[in-house]
Amino acid sequence: MTRRSLIQRSLRFHFRSHLGVVAGAAIASAAVVGALVVGYSLRVTLRDRALERLASASFALDGGDRVFGRALAGRIAGSERQFDPPLHLRAAGSGEERGAPAPQVVALLRLPAIATRADAAARANQVQVLGVDADFWRFAGVLPAPAIPEGAVMVNAALAARLSLQPGDPLLLRLGRRGALSADAALATREPGPRALRLRVDRVLSAAEGGDLTLHSGSAPPLNAFVNATELEAAAGLTNTANLMLAGPARPGSSLPDRGALELLNARLRQNWTLDDADLRLADAPAPWDLELRSPRVFLEDHVTGTALRLGPANTTVILTYLANLLVCGTNAAPYSMVTAAGAPFTPPDLAEDEILINEWLARDLKAGPGDTLALSYFLPESGAQLREATNHFRIRAVVPLAGVYADRSLMPDFPGLEKAETTRDWDAGFPLVYRIRPQDEDYWRQWRGTPKAFISLAAGRKLWANRFGNATAIRFPLPPGLPRGAHRDHLSAQLQNALDPAQLGLRFEPVRERALRAAGQSQDFGQLFLGFSLFLVVAALTLMGLLFQFGLEQRAAEVGTFLALGFTPREVRRLFLWEGAALAGLGAAAGTGGGVLYAQGMLWGLQTLWRDALAGSGVDFHVGAPPLLLGFGASAAIAILTLGLALRHQGRQPAHELLSGIPRAVLAEESPRRAFWLMMAGGLGALAILGWVIARGDTTNAGAFFGAGALLLLSGLAAVAFRLKQPWRRRRHSQASLLEFSLRNCARRPSRSLATVSLLASACFVILSIGVFRLEAGRDASRPGSGTGGFAFIGESTLPVTQDLNQPAGREFYGLDARDLADARVVPFRVRDGDEASCLNLNRAQQPRLAGVQPERLTGRFTFSKAARGLDRGRGWELLRAQVAADEIPAVGDANSIQWSLGKKVGDTLDYRDEQGRLFKLRLVGAVANSVLQGMLVIDEAAFVKKFPSESGYRWFLISVAPDRAAELAAALSRALQDRGLELAPATARLNAFNAVQNTYLGAFQILGGLGLLLGSAGLGIVVLRNVLERRGELALLVAVGFRRGRLSRMLLSEHGALLAGGLALGMLAAGLAVLPSLLAPGLDFPVISLGLTLAAVLANGLAWVVFAIRVALRGNLLSALRNE
Amino acid sequence: MKAISMGPAKAAQPPADGERSANFSLLRLSALRKMRVVEAPVPLLELAGVSKRFDPPAGTGSLVILEEISLEVRAGESVAVVGPSGSGKSTLLHLIGGLDRPSAGKVLLEGRDLGQLSEVQLAFVRNRLLGFVFQFHYLLPQCTVLENVLVPTLAGVGAESPGPNNPTRCEESPEERAIRLLKRLGLGERLDHRPGELSGGERQRVAVARALINQPRLLLADEPTGALDQASARELGRLLAELNREERVTLIVVTHSMELAAGMGRVFTLSGGRLQPSPAAPGTPPPTS
Repeated sequence: MTRRSLIQRSLRFHFRSHLGVVAGAAIASAAVVGALVVGYSLRVTLRDRALERLASASFALDGGDRVFGRALAGRIAGSERQFDPPLHLRAAGSGEERGAPAPQVVALLRLPAIATRADAAARANQVQVLGVDADFWRFAGVLPAPAIPEGAVMVNAALAARLSLQPGDPLLLRLGRRGALSADAALATREPGPRALRLRVDRVLSAAEGGDLTLHSGSAPPLNAFVNATELEAAAGLTNTANLMLAGPARPGSSLPDRGALELLNARLRQNWTLDDADLRLADAPAPWDLELRSPRVFLEDHVTGTALRLGPANTTVILTYLANLLVCGTNAAPYSMVTAAGAPFTPPDLAEDEILINEWLARDLKAGPGDTLALSYFLPESGAQLREATNHFRIRAVVPLAGVYADRSLMPDFPGLEKAETTRDWDAGFPLVYRIRPQDEDYWRQWRGTPKAFISLAAGRKLWANRFGNATAIRFPLPPGLPRGAHRDHLSAQLQNALDPAQLGLRFEPVRERALRAAGQSQDFGQLFLGFSLFLVVAALTLMGLLFQFGLEQRAAEVGTFLALGFTPREVRRLFLWEGAALAGLGAAAGTGGGVLYAQGMLWGLQTLWRDALAGSGVDFHVGAPPLLLGFGASAAIAILTLGLALRHQGRQPAHELLSGIPRAVLAEESPRRAFWLMMAGGLGALAILGWVIARGDTTNAGAFFGAGALLLLSGLAAVAFRLKQPWRRRRHSQASLLEFSLRNCARRPSRSLATVSLLASACFVILSIGVFRLEAGRDASRPGSGTGGFAFIGESTLPVTQDLNQPAGREFYGLDARDLADARVVPFRVRDGDEASCLNLNRAQQPRLAGVQPERLTGRFTFSKAARGLDRGRGWELLRAQVAADEIPAVGDANSIQWSLGKKVGDTLDYRDEQGRLFKLRLVGAVANSVLQGMLVIDEAAFVKKFPSESGYRWFLISVAPDRAAELAAALSRALQDRGLELAPATARLNAFNAVQNTYLGAFQILGGLGLLLGSAGLGIVVLRNVLERRGELALLVAVGFRRGRLSRMLLSEHGALLAGGLALGMLAAGLAVLPSLLAPGLDFPVISLGLTLAAVLANGLAWVVFAIRVALRGNLLSALRNE
Repeated sequence: MKAISMGPAKAAQPPADGERSANFSLLRLSALRKMRVVEAPVPLLELAGVSKRFDPPAGTGSLVILEEISLEVRAGESVAVVGPSGSGKSTLLHLIGGLDRPSAGKVLLEGRDLGQLSEVQLAFVRNRLLGFVFQFHYLLPQCTVLENVLVPTLAGVGAESPGPNNPTRCEESPEERAIRLLKRLGLGERLDHRPGELSGGERQRVAVARALINQPRLLLADEPTGALDQASARELGRLLAELNREERVTLIVVTHSMELAAGMGRVFTLSGGRLQPSPAAPGTPPPTS
């Protein structure tokens, strides 16, 4: 005989009565394991999807607006069989790194497009068109590699679904055209109309076939169309070019080692890129120079200019040529002339910044000479479509001949629309020709083309025309001494390639696989979330288990007494029972682990159906693995054992003779109610203090305060119940005891049992009620500027950038809108840098969130700032975007939910971001707006945006406000006018509701699972009733014997247990009501009376049903026989 | 009788502040055991002015169950306490057995005041020095007869070493002793039976064997025959008397049964909270109050 065998005997003997304990542990375990399996499934699904959307790519080079030669990919992949690791990896690297196979690198041309069904029945904006060849399919592991014939298109399942496309259906793709010069430049061609491609759907691609290729994580798969690369390049006028490179392992499915591989790829890129890949050209230059560096992008970036100057010999010349709209001297004016800013030999070294040289043609034309004042008018280079004109005055220093260096037509850069025009009538400029072009101007163009008519110093020119795209239009290099003329080009080209870092030109591989895996790995922890949702189910199951265990112990009180009498210490007795309980908990947890898998499947089903908004429509596949099962089993067994330990903590403390006498302790001796009293007071005062603080601060949305106050109130209430139950019951003297009083008195017979019941019901009721109040409704106060919509009626997103200002008559006119269409409407445009969607709709953790640039003053008074970084005043509102921060930081504002959940950050934190030139900078989260449509992105000042992302031209995201009665009209007009830009308008309330749906769905899930907990709690109440009544059968039989009718007994028992039910519900309601009082006091929040009333009624009815059922079962049969048994 | 060695007893003086503060070491347990080493001239059990009262709800006077009871019982004696229901017989036995604490006075076992012992020390005393037989057998229904008898040997306190004054302990394993006792009590054929398969008398005899498994100095029986028929009661009374002699165990029986009481060396009557020698047993010396 050992203790172990004693425990085994007890387990076997009491197995039937232990079943309830095992069931309780199993339910708790099922809920825990289920929640963990849901979390695991989501993580695995997100991981799978992340890898699928990258189509085997480990690294990607996203040129964005820049294109490079398609051949670059081949050069990077190289012909070598082995992928040489860098030296430091060779020394310490693993075998895998040392002998890693060469990577595959493929180039694609990716363009934004608008897809329309041929019958115009449906349209999809934000479509990615990808020009691919057979290499891409091999890269993606799609074998045999499908060939896309010309005239055909393959679409991914998402696009097919959006447009209801089947193989064979015709499809119209309107491609966004990209100009070399940024559309934001004043001289750029204005929004060329999209080119259309009429294609036939060849095949619908699945995600596994690379169909969902995208570099950014989002809530939904992208809309992709795959077109033959040659056909797309031809259509876009970008022959043999690409703007996206993917690098991956030689065998799809395997992976490149992350460490070192990125370094290797970028090293290879540096070795193999050419000037052409960065839109840089070395052209012949007239004497006295030999070569000229220029770009179809017109302007040369600052660091290109700097590097070139560093490399070039001493007399290397920087040239900045710009268009003067008008040159005026006195009453004479010459329109549309080129003016060059440069040093020697064009201008003398002592040329002052307000002096100008004019050529003899202009001097003649303006009848101007040295000493005269010349007014020079020009478009501010960055004024974009707004074409703001400025005028500067110069003193004419001298008149230069139209010969030699002054007769050089190549000084004019390749201004789009001008450089190939034979006559001024052929100009296809991005600006209206408002000044009259005279015949002599036409003659000059015909004879001299863009030969500058005036020259100013480089310093003066840069003051006028330097801009974010660059500060030079050409750099001219003389032939270095000792270098043969033919060798100069190769020499200089090699020098430039070595000295320039392609990363600074936006050509850089990024570790997209690692980033995607990190995004999936750090995703919203649904395991934790569902664990929270299931909390009440777990608590209810554990309470029930504890109750049943305790009932079992109560039945075995004599056994405990015997152990004590035989010399066991109380601790030994408790340990014996705890081991027994642990075995039951383990058994229950094991059974629950199996049940948890089913529970998880049920919740996943719920996520696909009832709660589909929580996943923004994207599905989750069921995955089960050892980690959630083992963790769930261990955790649930541990908490079950802990619960049983708590249930046991009083066991063995009762004297042996009391236990042996069979009289329950509560009847014999009362514990001191003092502790309960102090708990009641402390809880109540604490809750009141929090509520007062919240009301005084006006911080009515403070969730922490809500839970704090609610929990304290509940605690206080439960302590009050405990206090009352432990107080001796005193009847008023000389009054007749009523049946009700008699019933209530019975509640105090087993205080802990009654308290457990009330606690369970009160807590569940509290949560269900209070959570219901927090459902979000976007329609509420939507027109208020401080609301989540910012008072805006619409959110617009365009596929192609909109460069015109829709608030200006000229901008409206450009799109064919008249003043009436946009009367009373305000449009706030945002520049957009694509990135991960940082909203609750995207379950991945956003690594590089979408960034939006806006002029802060346009949002003044819009949205409500919930928080500002330490040291900053949130009352500053959008001015926070211009807050003083460290030199390498940019202030950013985001939605509070996005910052907390999607980015995993808090206000005041920084976020690393990479600018267009590959340089890291920090976004400082200076403020957060509450529950807004700004979810999904971070907002920065537009001025900072254009500095960091100069190539991102135009605006692609809009907030539009308009009077409600004009909303429909405006939407129709805008959608029609900006159809070619792929503008998609959505009501702001609908967008906010989509975001809110996630939180509301969470609340719904919490309520449903909390309801299950309450159901279990009610079942627990039924068990308590059954137990109470069965225990007292003898006593009840006596009442029958003295004349009580069975109905009266039922009423007595109903009052007794109804009091517990009503007490629990009332306490829960009171705590919830008081705790949400601050929110109820806030304007605009409606109390969902009906739904909550129905919930409460259901809870009450359910509880009563259990009580009645238990009483009927317990009073069944011949009660009087119990007397005989006594 | 051997004398109690006061030296070791002092060293073993246990703290009196209950289980929470009891840092009852093995050293102290062994010191308690050493109390057996020397035959003492002092009584095995001594009640000195023991009272027990309950404090009922406020406003009413306290309920006195036992008042100023003094009694000495020497090793090897058999004592019966009789009295009407509610006279406090069981309460008296619970006080002697360390199952309850007196409101006033002392209960001294082998010269040690039980009121000064912690819960752990009391558990040791109950396990090693005392044996209990109750009116109801309180056998564990899940265990066999043999296992039930062995249950006290599973208690952790001091069970690891046998007492030096019981040479049989060194020779007999607990199981051997349990079997011997059960055979002695006529249950040799019932070792593997469950309590549910035994008659009332048999169950009570198992309870007696269980009480004797750790060779206690004092066997306390609370209405041991109360739930038995006459024949079983008589048989059990006879066995108890025999065991008193054979096992050299001191016996205190609380009973209604005058027949059982008559078989004891001394008989006392408990009435009105006071203990008086019973005329039914002429050999009974008066209590020492």
